[in-house]
Amino acid sequence: MDVSQYLDIFLDEAGEHLQSLSDQIMILEQEPENEDTINEIFRAAHSLKGMAGTMGYKNMQNLTHDMENVFSEVRNGNIKIKSDMIDVLFQCLDALEAYTNNIRESSDEGSETNENLIKALNDILNGGSGGSGDAPKEKKAEEEKKAPEAAAASGDESWKHIKLGDSETTVLGEALKQGKTPYGLTVKVQESCILKAARAFLVFKAVEELGEVIISDPSTQDIEDEKFDFEFSLITISDKPLDQIISAASAVSEIESVTGGVLDLDSTEIESDEEEETAPAEAAADKAEEHTETPAKSNAPAPAGAAPAKADKKPVGKPVVNRTVRVDIEKLDVLMNLVSELIIAKNSLVAASGSTEDRINSAITDQVEYLESVTTSLHESVMKVRMVPIESVVSKFPRMIRDLSKKLGKKMELYMSGEDTELDRTVVDEIGDPLMHLLRNSADHGLESAEIRKERGKPEVGSIFLDAYQEGNNVIIEVRDDGNGIDTEAVKAKAIERGVITPEQGDNMSEKEIIDLLFNAGFSTAKVVSDVSGRGVGLDVVKSKIESLSGEVEVKSRLGEGSTWTIRLPLTLAIIQALMVTVGGEKYAISLGSIQTIENISRSSIKLVENKEVIHLRGTVIPLIDLHEVLDAPRLDEEDPEHIIVVIVKKGDKLAGLVVDELIGQQEVVIKSLGKYINRCKVISGATILGDGEVALILDANVLI
Amino acid sequence: MDELSTVRTSIQYIVVKLGEERFGINISYVDNIVRMQRMTRVPEVAPYIKGVINLRGEVVPVMSTRIKMGLEPDVETSATRIIILKFEQQGYIGFIVDAVNEVVTLDTESIEKVADQKQDGAFVQGVGKSNDGLISILDLNALINEQV
Repeated sequence: MDVSQYLDIFLDEAGEHLQSLSDQIMILEQEPENEDTINEIFRAAHSLKGMAGTMGYKNMQNLTHDMENVFSEVRNGNIKIKSDMIDVLFQCLDALEAYTNNIRESSDEGSETNENLIKALNDILNGGSGGSGDAPKEKKAEEEKKAPEAAAASGDESWKHIKLGDSETTVLGEALKQGKTPYGLTVKVQESCILKAARAFLVFKAVEELGEVIISDPSTQDIEDEKFDFEFSLITISDKPLDQIISAASAVSEIESVTGGVLDLDSTEIESDEEEETAPAEAAADKAEEHTETPAKSNAPAPAGAAPAKADKKPVGKPVVNRTVRVDIEKLDVLMNLVSELIIAKNSLVAASGSTEDRINSAITDQVEYLESVTTSLHESVMKVRMVPIESVVSKFPRMIRDLSKKLGKKMELYMSGEDTELDRTVVDEIGDPLMHLLRNSADHGLESAEIRKERGKPEVGSIFLDAYQEGNNVIIEVRDDGNGIDTEAVKAKAIERGVITPEQGDNMSEKEIIDLLFNAGFSTAKVVSDVSGRGVGLDVVKSKIESLSGEVEVKSRLGEGSTWTIRLPLTLAIIQALMVTVGGEKYAISLGSIQTIENISRSSIKLVENKEVIHLRGTVIPLIDLHEVLDAPRLDEEDPEHIIVVIVKKGDKLAGLVVDELIGQQEVVIKSLGKYINRCKVISGATILGDGEVALILDANVLI
Repeated sequence: MDELSTVRTSIQYIVVKLGEERFGINISYVDNIVRMQRMTRVPEVAPYIKGVINLRGEVVPVMSTRIKMGLEPDVETSATRIIILKFEQQGYIGFIVDAVNEVVTLDTESIEKVADQKQDGAFVQGVGKSNDGLISILDLNALINEQV
């Protein structure tokens, strides 16, 4: 069966279900009696089972099937949640994740059957429900194998009763010769459905995409006129497998169930014989259940052995109409580039309309202004499309910390805030690993063991905080712990031992410089190498990864009190609002996000502190940075002898004043890379093309401060 | 030379002038030839990098071939051109030349390796002959290499 086209959707959805399972099991560990949670887990496991089954991933299906059984018993109150059970469940999740990873790489789930986990699940089942574990499972497994073939002969399938005329029989005969298969389908529409005809039409459309509909009962005309109850049947010929047609048809919303089978030309006009009808009926019911609750179940006697697990299955909520589209990120990149081009073109128009002096010019100016506001909104919208909350990345961390806590034998708790902070999709995809490294680092090196914490008068349970928030054009992610902090002496000793620095160098280093040594490749201070962290890879990887995203990472630490790791990432990577200034006759752009204020300062108020120029501004001492010096730009002759223009920029809680010649104004600029060839220039973060086609450089205020 | 390279192949070169000397640039690298235009200076870069220009919406660094090769600094005339080359690794880079003359096709066999270390010898791969005289084939990788 060709399912490759559904693979992406399968992987996406499987990922979501696994995440939801993980979240819910975490909750369950805290509140073992929470019924909503149990139901949610049950639903997720059930959906996963169905999806894996449809895609033909047997091992995955078996495992989820047994998880589902366990939760069914939990829900019935036959099993109580215990801690070891949670562990088994988490192992199951890991196994499932391994399956999905295999599938992602090779579109094959791999041969690992996870017998031990299935056994563990069955043990739980046996322990809780008194030995009813294995028997029904086997029976059901068999039954599921039967399902596809057996579904064909199900009891209440009225497509069997469709009378075929001569022309239809001829068409069918032709189709058979071409190697196509005739199928019969019976579709039940939900009784609450208002637009039955429309739904039926969609089903027809779905089926016709895969094959040709020969005949229907009632006739197509009657169906269009809504002259049917809640059920209609049709016969189609197709070269696609039955499962695919059924799933296509049942994907239409408000469809209660779709049953079908291979049409046996000899038996269509006569009643199918007794045996065929009753025996596999259960199987059909079981199959139908995979889609939604179905009345077919009441028609078909449930298999006795599987009864405890299946009988009280609640309806799986009908799929809510999906209002989202999944879009390839590359398409968004193309869109983004086009918007960039548009903004450059708009900037040229703005420049051109300002230079002419025609009377009709005012009409043009109006339109250009309108165009300006449209392009700005367009840009914002495209940016928003690309933005995703970091939740998708950080939501796996509570589970990780839980595991670490067990593995390291330390008590710890993770507190997260700002999970809804949004970042560009490309950044979010990359930020997971660095954050994981930092959290592991905090858990392993940062937090002390419970005994030491007690001695030091700290709460026994260590706290790790993960906070995300937006600051101007940046997003800040902080990983904080209340552990031991960084022992600079130990770091220094280690660095000398490793030959990273010489002892003389070590003596002259400031505390901050020593802490920065941690980001050196091949540096690890843990005395014992654990499998959590301490292999010496990590912090340097963290740093280079974040820098590759045009971000920065900083550490603050107090010995005995804990450390804070701050990651600063640019909100957008492509278009920013900037202040255009001139320095020595050259134009430069400064990101508006980092600008605090613009001040006109009299030269007489400049003071010298440690031989550096500073100004006092509303009670704060702010160091001055003369851009002429930094940029090696010529000084103008006609400098104002009394005043200087200072752009106050901030980075975190640090401020600096940039001395410029002239302010041009605010402009939306498209960031272009200077290319790989010129990369030595740290203060320039990129270039942009102005309205007149000239290139202006973008200053990175973060580097200057 | 081993047997493998005896297969006769010919390569097209764009002939440019720097002073009186004629240089050949492998045409497969050439993306575009543009007139001199206003350049934006970039701070903190090597002296031979003259700045960046806007080439169809892309920002392209431009270097002075003369300064890089240790010749006299450029004197801009109406014949001065920027040859935009595209490299796999570094992307687009522009080279300022005094003039662009013609395109010639040279047999790989007719290009002789140079042994003499003139001032600009480090940037010359070999010397080819055309009807109008000698053409020094520029070693482009050496030109964009930072170390030289």
